[in-house]
Amino acid sequence: MIADEATLARLMVASQKGDKVAYNVLLAEAGLWLERYFRRRVPPHQLDDLVQDVLLAIHNKRSSYDAARPFLPWLSAIARYRWVDHLRKVYKHEADLLEDGDASVDSDEDVVEARVSLERLFVNLPESQAKVIELVKLEGHSIREAAAKTGQSESLVKVNIHRGLKKLSAIIEKAE
Amino acid sequence: MNTPSTRENLIAGLAEGLEPVRQFKSRDGALWVALAVTLTGLGVFVIEGFWQGMLQGEAAPFFWVTNGLLLLLGLAAATSVITMASPHVGNRYDAPRWAAAMVGVLPLAALISAISSGDVSHSTMHVVGPHCVKASLIAASLTGVALIAWLRRGAPVSLNLAGWLTGLAAGSLGTFVFGLSCPLDTVMHLGVSHILPVAISAVIGRLIVPPLVRW
Repeated sequence: MIADEATLARLMVASQKGDKVAYNVLLAEAGLWLERYFRRRVPPHQLDDLVQDVLLAIHNKRSSYDAARPFLPWLSAIARYRWVDHLRKVYKHEADLLEDGDASVDSDEDVVEARVSLERLFVNLPESQAKVIELVKLEGHSIREAAAKTGQSESLVKVNIHRGLKKLSAIIEKAE
Repeated sequence: MNTPSTRENLIAGLAEGLEPVRQFKSRDGALWVALAVTLTGLGVFVIEGFWQGMLQGEAAPFFWVTNGLLLLLGLAAATSVITMASPHVGNRYDAPRWAAAMVGVLPLAALISAISSGDVSHSTMHVVGPHCVKASLIAASLTGVALIAWLRRGAPVSLNLAGWLTGLAAGSLGTFVFGLSCPLDTVMHLGVSHILPVAISAVIGRLIVPPLVRW
């Protein structure tokens, strides 16, 4: 079970003061939280890389946490930021396609929660952009396949991905 | 593919090298901005002087309206930039948008005033205007540097917006400070020459800040 908000906030404050034990616990807990947060947002074989990337970001930017505010919205903002950055960089081809046997095993509740969280960001995108980002960046289809599935031209798929990612990066702190 | 032990090793390494850091406090950012604006003010008053007339009842009401709105826009935008350094899902940055919209009324007022009076080619706008624009932009630079330094110390995640708001904050505070030395208080002059630098500064901020604060 992952530590609650108040515990994480306390651990973070102690970490900012240099408490190595608290920091070790915090990063381990944050790693578990991030694993759950990103599940279904990235292919499983990229999950740990992304989690570690965010852990490094937490380390480098730990002074930016405001102890007067909750911890998880701060962590979420950093996680979203690194996730959008990850989507920009990643271009997967057929070999990276998600396969059923490779998918994480979750409870139905976890899947629903992750899906809702994903939709929370994606709901701000036009359907044409959200769809091609999901197909190409999350599910690993090629541009050509995404074009065939959506009926968009390949150029339009690329443009929609570009515009969609730009929009995502602009709404990272958006809560609703 | 990484194994769990890779992450454990990473965490152990990060924890081992942990050093205390100064905790984030918005007040620190506000002090940086206040210091930058104060130094800018000193520089402006040494170089340009202080318009005594404003304290002797010579200033037109539009002078106070313009500078008051610029100050409010500057404070709203600077506050947002300071907040941005500590990212948070749920942060909103609406205040500078509304403040910018209010300041945007000023050039419209100048335009309508000029058209209705048939005095579009107001001489002061051409002679003194460029100096006010340049001086305001120079006055904006120190505040801009302070805000960029603050953002680099933090972890902004809305980079383009950070660029716009940094430019708006620096431009409006710089123009406000410079404006205290400028005795020209006509609607046309203030509505154009004291608003244009804010717009230019916002565009400059949008162009140069994101790459400087990306992390």
